[in-house]
Amino acid sequence: MRPFDERYHTALEDPDVRTGLTAFQRGWRESRDAAIADLEAQEGRSFDELRQELAAIKDDVIANWDRYLDEFTANAEAAGAEVTRVATPGEANELITRICRDAGVDLMVKGKSMVSEEIGLNHHLEAAGITPVETDLGEWILQLAGETPSHLVMPAIHKRKERIAELFERVLEREFPPDDIDRMVKVARTELRERFLASGVGLSGTNALIAEGGSVMLVCNEGNNRMSVALPPVHIVTAGIEKMVPTYADAMKQVRLLGRSATAQPITVYTNFVTGPRPGQRQHILLIDNGRSAMAEDPEVAAALRCIRCGACANVCPPYGVVGGHAFGHVYTGAIGLVNTASHHGIEAAAGPQSLCVSCGACATVCPTDIPLPTQILEVRRKVVEARAPAPCDRATHLGIAAFGQRWLVDLGFRAAGIVTTPLRSDGVTKVPRWLAERPGLRERVGWRTPPAVPLRPARDRLKRGKLDEPPRLAAQPLAGRTVQLFLQCLSDRLAPDIPKAAAELLRAAGADVRLPREQHCCGLPAYDAGEQDAARAMVRQTIATLEGVDDVVTPASSCLAMLKHDAPHLLRDDLDDLERSQQLAGRTYDLISYLTAGPGRLPAGALDDGDATPVTVHRFCQASNTLERQDAIERFLRDVAGVEVVPLPEAEVCCGFGGSTSVRNPELAAGVLDRKLGCLDQTAAPILITDNPGCILHLRGGVHATGRQVEVLHLAEYLARRLPGAAVRQATA
Amino acid sequence: MVGDAGGQEAIISTPDGFRIAVEAASSRYLEVGDWDAVIAHLSGGAGAGDGPDRAPIALAPSLAAAQPDLVDRFSEAGFTVVVPDGDDPAAQVADVPVAVVRGELAVAETGSVLIAEHALGDRVVTMLCRRLVQVVDADTIVDRLEGAADWLRERRGKPGFASLMTGPSRTADIERSLTIGVQGPDEVEVVVLTATPGGVHEA
Ligand code: SF4
Repeated sequence: MRPFDERYHTALEDPDVRTGLTAFQRGWRESRDAAIADLEAQEGRSFDELRQELAAIKDDVIANWDRYLDEFTANAEAAGAEVTRVATPGEANELITRICRDAGVDLMVKGKSMVSEEIGLNHHLEAAGITPVETDLGEWILQLAGETPSHLVMPAIHKRKERIAELFERVLEREFPPDDIDRMVKVARTELRERFLASGVGLSGTNALIAEGGSVMLVCNEGNNRMSVALPPVHIVTAGIEKMVPTYADAMKQVRLLGRSATAQPITVYTNFVTGPRPGQRQHILLIDNGRSAMAEDPEVAAALRCIRCGACANVCPPYGVVGGHAFGHVYTGAIGLVNTASHHGIEAAAGPQSLCVSCGACATVCPTDIPLPTQILEVRRKVVEARAPAPCDRATHLGIAAFGQRWLVDLGFRAAGIVTTPLRSDGVTKVPRWLAERPGLRERVGWRTPPAVPLRPARDRLKRGKLDEPPRLAAQPLAGRTVQLFLQCLSDRLAPDIPKAAAELLRAAGADVRLPREQHCCGLPAYDAGEQDAARAMVRQTIATLEGVDDVVTPASSCLAMLKHDAPHLLRDDLDDLERSQQLAGRTYDLISYLTAGPGRLPAGALDDGDATPVTVHRFCQASNTLERQDAIERFLRDVAGVEVVPLPEAEVCCGFGGSTSVRNPELAAGVLDRKLGCLDQTAAPILITDNPGCILHLRGGVHATGRQVEVLHLAEYLARRLPGAAVRQATA
Repeated sequence: MVGDAGGQEAIISTPDGFRIAVEAASSRYLEVGDWDAVIAHLSGGAGAGDGPDRAPIALAPSLAAAQPDLVDRFSEAGFTVVVPDGDDPAAQVADVPVAVVRGELAVAETGSVLIAEHALGDRVVTMLCRRLVQVVDADTIVDRLEGAADWLRERRGKPGFASLMTGPSRTADIERSLTIGVQGPDEVEVVVLTATPGGVHEA
């Protein structure tokens, strides 16, 4: 496979990839959600219950692998199959070549098999003089084009119909109008039929191995897979050993979730159960390990073995929607590819795509086997950081993270930057002069996103006691008598001080005594995100120590809440004391919206209704939806408490592309994700965009500014503070 | 009409559940009394032709073996009947447009018909003919996929090839645009026989 950087840039330069994949992701999302809702109604159980049930089945297999493999082997052999366990791709390829040679075969028809891609079978066969013919339409197109699959289920989804028509015209020497998909699809029947009948060997993958019956379950829609299996005199199965399920009933549970998660079908057209060879046929089943038993031993990634290769994790992945599977992954694509590549193809192969993940968490919400993909990706990222000789940019990241751990240094740096950039500061942004903006390194970073202004004084200075005005008072005082510690968040402290300032004002207006622990710095998220877990642990410990005591902790940054609630327990899992402290802290820490709606600061309906009815729209911070399971809380709050019209934002919960380090390391990708978000924003025509994570705000503001859009991007706190009694007067005199 | 799958909850077993699922999968659904009605149905309709013009029809060898009289009955109705059981069954059905197979059971939940096709002759008819007629007894319809799992489990360890078939072959591989009729049949009819109590076939 070509080096990652090359694949990444090729993908970025192909406009078809992004257009096609965005449309595909949108279409899939809608139909998949409907299919899952139907399933929930049919079963009378939630998606979560159903996927946990399937996960438990797979976990049992992973824990008792040898037993089930033996059971399967005995049953399959009783039915006449020859079963061989192979450890490496090399062994598998050699065995398959030998089987073909022994049968005197030089043409192989192939049903879709990701494992055969995993082991690089086609190259091996060709070198041995055996011609493999892919028979799945998508795989066949790619074989004709000399490409590899970019998706687990829809291998050619990155190709637009125009390109496929050109390809067919060239290879088949016939005319193919690009709008006649029907004709392109149907040519597969005529072109491939002869091959099925002439081939001496058919190869398939498997969707499940059923231990109790020795059966291989194969699903497909086109009918090609079953023809590859059923017609030739030799049938070879390449099966990853993780495909095992104990019983047929278990397989049916997988079927229910697989079709819906893959293509939004209740079941694929064909669900075949193949037990042994037909009369006159030989069947060879290869149970392939290639790193799987080692994965099972590693608690950080073992759950990835539950994967049923449905592709859903790619279908909701915003970066995948920009660059596709040739860049986002290796042989295996999408979120699961970022995890299992390290185990099947080595750490080097896994390293490149790591920085493309924005940690939005969307994959984990749709995975039908409930794999904690975001956590696993960060574990693999840590391993990549630890295992590799660092490239210059890795070293820079490492140093940067180490420096970021020192509060005084960060403080000093930002104050200095504030002074240096004073002449460039204008209206909340830094106006980079043209000669500078066009220099490589900056060009790809500032053109599409204007950098924020660096203020002279951080929020912590502005919120000093004695510097604050007497707050306005709301009629409702739910927080009277409560002490609230404000966790500023490192980013908004220095780059968006108005956000914590507005949050403090709001909390005080509701009666709170707001405190600002001076030692506070950073929750550790940026370090965790960069795979620098030691640094992250140090920062999270420091944060815990700083915030102990006092009633409630409130932060205007939902990302810090996700870190404290979700990631800190994972990082501190080996230290029970710290783990307990982090859990206690998480229990009394709120982001602003949860504090005002579900926490002690609950405001009554109409409390912030000042009569201003300018419509707004809301971007849902991705991790709030995906990790904190918050849904339309901000929208409801704005309607009920502020009395404002909220225009629904299409794809409201899809990541905006900030993604922490992603937008620094892969700016082109972040720009692509942002572009999709801004396109959705345009559809609402709302003049104000509200969200509640400072990173998103800086990113969205920069994008709105750079594209000349006339939309005000506000943090929820800023928007609400404007609606406090007397706010207009205060703003006018400020 | 809809059978009970070993005490499974009957969420799906509305009387019409199976039909609705079959049609949702883009198959045609038909309820008839017996095989005579099946033959009459296949004899009629546009393109069926008449007498000597009638298109040939393939019967799955396992069906012909279970109900030997069917070959004669189709022949009497003017069909040239092909039962692909020779050395090269694929060649035998290469130009036969219609195939008739019998389902072991059907699943209301998904609109699937479970077809056992162990021998090569049984396989080629479901794979190579363009129009596939799946005939299934009404009292073999189970509510849920677990009913099919039970059937498979009873035969576990024995060689076999059983397929849940749900609609005509299809793909969405090009720009996720759904196309019906790809490499397998492009027309599927599910015919439910209502007059065969107890699953016993007419002799
Ligand atoms: S990780 Fe989950 S969502 Fe992704 S392909 Fe595997 S089963 Fe599907």
